Amino acid sequence: MNIIEFRDVSKIYENGTAALKDINLVIKKGEFVFLVGPSGSGKSTFVKLMIKETPVTSGTIFVAGRNICILKSSKIPQLRRNIGCIFQDYKLLSDRTIFENIAFALEVIGKPNYIIKAQVPQVLKLVGLYSKMDSYPHQLSGGEQQRICIARAFVNRPPILLADEPTGNLDPATSESIMKLLSRINLIGTTVVMATHEKSIVNAMRRRVVEMEEGLIIRDQKRGVYGS
Amino acid sequence: MGFTAITTVAITLFIVGVFSVILFDVQGVLNSIEGQVEIAVYLKDNVSNDLKVYLENEIKKWPEVDSIAYVSKEQALEKFKVQNEGSDILKEIQGNPLPASFEIKLKDAQKVEQVALRFVDKDGKSIDGVDEVIYGKSYIRKLFSITAIAGTIALLIIIILILATMVLIYNTIRLSIYARRKEIEVMKLVGATNGYVRAPFLFEGFFEGFLGGGIAVVLLYLLNKFLLIKGETVIVETMHIKNLAILGSSNIILIAYFGIIIIGGLIGILSSGFALRRYLKV
Ligand SMILES: Nc1ncnc2c1ncn2[C@@H]1O[C@H](COP(=O)(O)OP(=O)(O)OP(=O)(O)O)[C@@H](O)[C@H]1O
Ligand SMILES: [Mg+2]
Repeated sequence: MNIIEFRDVSKIYENGTAALKDINLVIKKGEFVFLVGPSGSGKSTFVKLMIKETPVTSGTIFVAGRNICILKSSKIPQLRRNIGCIFQDYKLLSDRTIFENIAFALEVIGKPNYIIKAQVPQVLKLVGLYSKMDSYPHQLSGGEQQRICIARAFVNRPPILLADEPTGNLDPATSESIMKLLSRINLIGTTVVMATHEKSIVNAMRRRVVEMEEGLIIRDQKRGVYGS
Repeated sequence: MGFTAITTVAITLFIVGVFSVILFDVQGVLNSIEGQVEIAVYLKDNVSNDLKVYLENEIKKWPEVDSIAYVSKEQALEKFKVQNEGSDILKEIQGNPLPASFEIKLKDAQKVEQVALRFVDKDGKSIDGVDEVIYGKSYIRKLFSITAIAGTIALLIIIILILATMVLIYNTIRLSIYARRKEIEVMKLVGATNGYVRAPFLFEGFFEGFLGGGIAVVLLYLLNKFLLIKGETVIVETMHIKNLAILGSSNIILIAYFGIIIIGGLIGILSSGFALRRYLKV
């Protein structure tokens, strides 16, 4: 089943930058896909289009078979609840503890308290930061903050997880532990799309690699590597 | 919290309340005066009974006329005696110098001149059988147009004040949207509904307006209790006017209180709604 499909998708920002040009891509349910390419090649734009953070200029995007380009604005929340997103710039709230940050994502979609109390500690254990739940984001290292982002994106168990540079600026060991975490999440059936420009990680994983350059897909390879 | 916004709502609505009370009361006073407006048509002593009956029937047919009463010479004298009891003037009266008259009450005070002029012919002389016509002239009409103008001015001031409060609330909401922009961004990205994101700001606006309205009502209540009710007693006693509406004890003031709180809440919701439309795109 195609869980994500891009058909002739182009994105031109208001200032005229063409970030994506006629992208065609199909991602199947349960896949783990690396989106690789140099800075500015359009990886984050790809992610933003999927959650309708910004609209497409032309073409169509299907998520779970539904055309999200014609989605009514009242249906966008539903789409986003099904796509966990790890943002390149974390987007953690600095005046809230780790527990509160993750609980926030459940609260605002109307989850009752007892579910929040059960699920937040559980997902914190999954990312190995249970002991830090009363800390504030600035008291955590970069890698720990990344794992909090994963926890927040995953706490609602969405069928799709988008990870935009989840290993950016991390040392190899920390990156490896984050990759293990994402693999585990993928193993339980979650479709994972990860944007990165780190060769070593991609090469170590041997998963599908979609390579982009200046808004175009220049390579799509099963069990690929980054740069030959 | 938007302390300035709440204070401004309170002051504005207090002024709105005071204006309403004043306008309502002036209107009430004028209405009571209006009820008393009448035209006195004095008849010549030698008027025949036929002419008298004819005139009375004619006048009754006029659509402006509310009621007509005939006062005979004898009744006029009686009245005069009662009004001037104990006065020296009574001793000087010999016979009955007072004329008989029609007292005409009108439905609409503004028509008084128009009706009175029917008793005068082209040359400015009174018509047959009529000696003199006395009426309230046009001062009533002037009073009415003055209150109408005052009302329009008050309304303009009120509108300007309300707009100013709306701008203030709009601004506090804009600031709190700005202060919470990161939270809002995260909320939206993890799938909070538009209503969920907007509700707290709408509530904040409503609360500011509502609280301001509440403070205005408290101020109005105090003003009413310590000033207007006392003033009402004075006016009622000196001017013999019964239906002073909002002033003092009337129940209408409760409706006014209620209305002011509602208006406050509406102002708040509307202003924050505008701010959300502008600054919280979804
Ligand atoms: N909001 C925006 N307005 C205008 N141009 C933008 C905007 N966001 C991104 N761009 C441009 O679109 C192009 C693609 O940007 P994008 O963020 O998708 O790249 P990326 O592959 O994620 O890069 P990086 O690896 O540095 O994160 C770049 O040229 C960028 O300057
Ligand atoms: Mg990026």
